[in-house]
Amino acid sequence: MGSQVYFDDVSVGQEIPSLTKDVNTVNILMYVAAVWLMDRIHFDNPFAVKRRGLPDIVAPGNMAGDYYVQLLTDWAGDKGRLRKLALQFRNFMIPGNVLTCGGRITAKAVEDGKGRVDLELWIKNQDGVVCVPGKGVVELPIRAA
Amino acid sequence: MGSLLDELGWKKFIGHEYPAHTGEPVLARDIRRYAYAIDDGNPLFVDEAAAKAGRHGGITAPLNYVSWAVGVPGAEKRSKDLGEDGLSSFVGVPDIPGAWSLGWVRGGEELEFFKPVYVNDRVTVRGHVTGMSEKVGKSGTLIFVTSEFTYTNQNDELLAKHIVTMIASPRKEQAQ
Repeated sequence: MGSQVYFDDVSVGQEIPSLTKDVNTVNILMYVAAVWLMDRIHFDNPFAVKRRGLPDIVAPGNMAGDYYVQLLTDWAGDKGRLRKLALQFRNFMIPGNVLTCGGRITAKAVEDGKGRVDLELWIKNQDGVVCVPGKGVVELPIRAA
Repeated sequence: MGSLLDELGWKKFIGHEYPAHTGEPVLARDIRRYAYAIDDGNPLFVDEAAAKAGRHGGITAPLNYVSWAVGVPGAEKRSKDLGEDGLSSFVGVPDIPGAWSLGWVRGGEELEFFKPVYVNDRVTVRGHVTGMSEKVGKSGTLIFVTSEFTYTNQNDELLAKHIVTMIASPRKEQAQ
């Protein structure tokens, strides 16, 4: 899980290490099967394109939440934790997309003796289009004085 | 221009409660397949020994799994009984008259996490509609329905709070 990041060592404006995700028909299919989501826009191309006017089948929006959870849970480490996540679904994530999931620290404060870090988040495709902007709140450990 | 919300008579459903629903026990297999689908290599989701030795003391699910841990009430049907678009029930779409005469997409969501879901947990969801509004955009009228949900486990511990905004619009396509 890598080394632990501490509240003391992060600063506003700093970007956190990004995560790359490929969108393809296999991982969309694995997802909809795993959660039993039978909306045809996620697996039926003619339906998605001809009936719904979508560019292709589209990844479930929830997958963006999962990518952010992974990004922030991994960054927070064993002694930190993800507290809050907010997402807006702006543009579809479609097969062939290579997504960069990233974040930048917008605020930090000690709350109830715990380190709170606020972040702005983005999931961008290979063309730089932000598909799912977001915000997160992560709790980080504070170094012992 | 009349209001689509008024036409549908939906405003009286602000405050509408979703029926509480409790999922079946979560399987290690459910969590593993989910972790593989989102391509998250964290051993806490798939490796029992690593999970036991880790911070939670057992296999837990990725945090965003919490809503799926309940299952979507009404979504599991025989294939012949599914709606034409395959979707007959969805988190944040209230079961109110005319709901499925419109097409739905997710607008946004907010999640607050308190505890993870463990293998064998039975997760209960409770929720209600907190607001409805409409906006006339380039592509026609859009209706925004916001709902708030809470997820608890079998010990009544709060796992997560979830605010979902769904966007409905009149279906454009003609059956053919």
